[in-house]
Amino acid sequence: GLFDGLVPSYSYWNDPFEPAVSSDSEDDDTAEVIDEQEVFDLISTISDPEHPLSLGSLAVVNLPDIHIKHPTSPRSPISTVLVEITPTITHCSLATVIGLGVRVRLEQSLPPRFRVDVRIKEGTHSSAESVNKQLGDKERVAAALENGTLMGVLRKMLSTCE
Amino acid sequence: MPSPEGAPLPFTLQPLAQFSPASNSRTWLTAPHPRLPIVATASSDKTVRIYSLTSFKLLNTVSGGHKRSIRTCAWKPGLKGESVLATGSFDASAGIWRRWDDNAGINDDNGEPLDFTSSGKRNDDSEDDDEDDEWRFAVILDGHESEVKSVAWSAGGQYLATCSRDKSVWIWEEMEDDNFETIAVLQEHEGDVKSVAWHPQEDLLASSSYDDTIRLYKEDMDDWTCIAILNGHDATVWTVDFEPADVSSLTAEDGDPTKSAWLVEKVKAGPRLISCSDDLTVRVWRRRPKEKTDPNPGQSRMPSIIKTGSIEEDWYEEARLPQHHERAVYSVSWSKATGRVVTTGSDGKIVVYAEQWRKPSAEKPQDVNMDSDNPHIADTEWAVIAEIEGGHDEYEINHATWCRRRDKGKRSEDEEVVITTGDQGDVKAWTLEN
Repeated sequence: GLFDGLVPSYSYWNDPFEPAVSSDSEDDDTAEVIDEQEVFDLISTISDPEHPLSLGSLAVVNLPDIHIKHPTSPRSPISTVLVEITPTITHCSLATVIGLGVRVRLEQSLPPRFRVDVRIKEGTHSSAESVNKQLGDKERVAAALENGTLMGVLRKMLSTCE
Repeated sequence: MPSPEGAPLPFTLQPLAQFSPASNSRTWLTAPHPRLPIVATASSDKTVRIYSLTSFKLLNTVSGGHKRSIRTCAWKPGLKGESVLATGSFDASAGIWRRWDDNAGINDDNGEPLDFTSSGKRNDDSEDDDEDDEWRFAVILDGHESEVKSVAWSAGGQYLATCSRDKSVWIWEEMEDDNFETIAVLQEHEGDVKSVAWHPQEDLLASSSYDDTIRLYKEDMDDWTCIAILNGHDATVWTVDFEPADVSSLTAEDGDPTKSAWLVEKVKAGPRLISCSDDLTVRVWRRRPKEKTDPNPGQSRMPSIIKTGSIEEDWYEEARLPQHHERAVYSVSWSKATGRVVTTGSDGKIVVYAEQWRKPSAEKPQDVNMDSDNPHIADTEWAVIAEIEGGHDEYEINHATWCRRRDKGKRSEDEEVVITTGDQGDVKAWTLEN
């Protein structure tokens, strides 16, 4: 295909751009507590794909729109984090890419027990339903990450997250 | 293990083995061979891993044919002496791989070691004795415009169906050796087609989609055509699977005529379809048998309004399985041996269900099962019989399937294991224990 030469040769899922938060922890047996502020700090420095500004400064991501749910039963290892993003304009054509950037950033940075849900904040985008459906589709996200052009855009957005 | 409601479940899922070495990147699906004690695992590292069901060890890594993730694979049924594997990849192509079984280094069904010295079926001009190269990438099937998501062989092996994010379903037929012809391009869906499955007895194909629907297709006067649309799911339908033919999980041994009547009706309708979705539900769909056509059409006083030759079928939602999943249900598989069903998904749970006769006192749900209001016909219900959380620790599980148990610990010829395939590259086998 057209983009094959651009596809990164490493495996994204196992070679993230930086170590996961959990790898700092000396005690892997106890799930460390991750709060909304920490999640906000991870994504607020992502660059907007069009502007030289961060998603935090553009108020695309906002602390009150981050919701963490801890395991629903004592036997379940799964936590979820829901991030509702607010596109700068209701017809923003890059809403999907921004959402993908947030999802990728969190999946790389949070321990694997976190399921990451990224959605458009209600009433802030004209095609929120379709964007939400794409962002929630694991197969589409996985295929997007094998697309060299798109990965280039995402890497640029995430390069400011240090 | 107690159910979420606190009542104990009759079975537990016990880990039997983890196939090793595991892939070090996401694995999507594991397909048990129809005859040999091996499975094939589709991996995002662009390989298919062939594992033994007797030792749980890696036998071969099949690579080189695809440029992106291998999303899916399926063994061609009905072959002897040769194995044929179809793969579907995010590189928009499907692949066909072949290998003579006498070079496989594995035992056939009869338990006798295969004769390694025999090479009668192998091309004499083959100079390649490297074991890893014995899987020959025979042909690439090009045509889809974007990622292939699922591939499925028809029951007799005549047809191969493939589906893609390009919203289409293709049907291929092998005309002669490695020459596959496209016999249908079905563009019915309004979104990615996530899975395809064939009816076990008829040339009837089902597909499920990102557009939240399931569609069924049959050949009509040389043209494949959509014969039913199954609406009901509120989100992406990840997988469809047909009920195996001749599975006998329920009997009327107690002589209850209403149960016999149910079984007669079931035979008339034929194998059912099961689907799982992002909407967290798992649903069973059933065909409404067609009325018999008038045996003496010439003497009929009234012309029949119903086109007797119509190929369209009427399918309805017969049941919903108890909802135990908390996130997208990616995979559903119907057991050939027991009629049980296993599901898994994003929440990392593995859930096993069984169909049973509904107790006469039990309340009947109002919203489903409209066809069984007849008091002379018994009714069934689905119950969860085993469940485990965190089956692959904190990782998502992409696929679960039933598979005949083949290792030394098997307790009967038809004992089955559940094989699960997960995001971290792990493939695991589970037994049901009571």
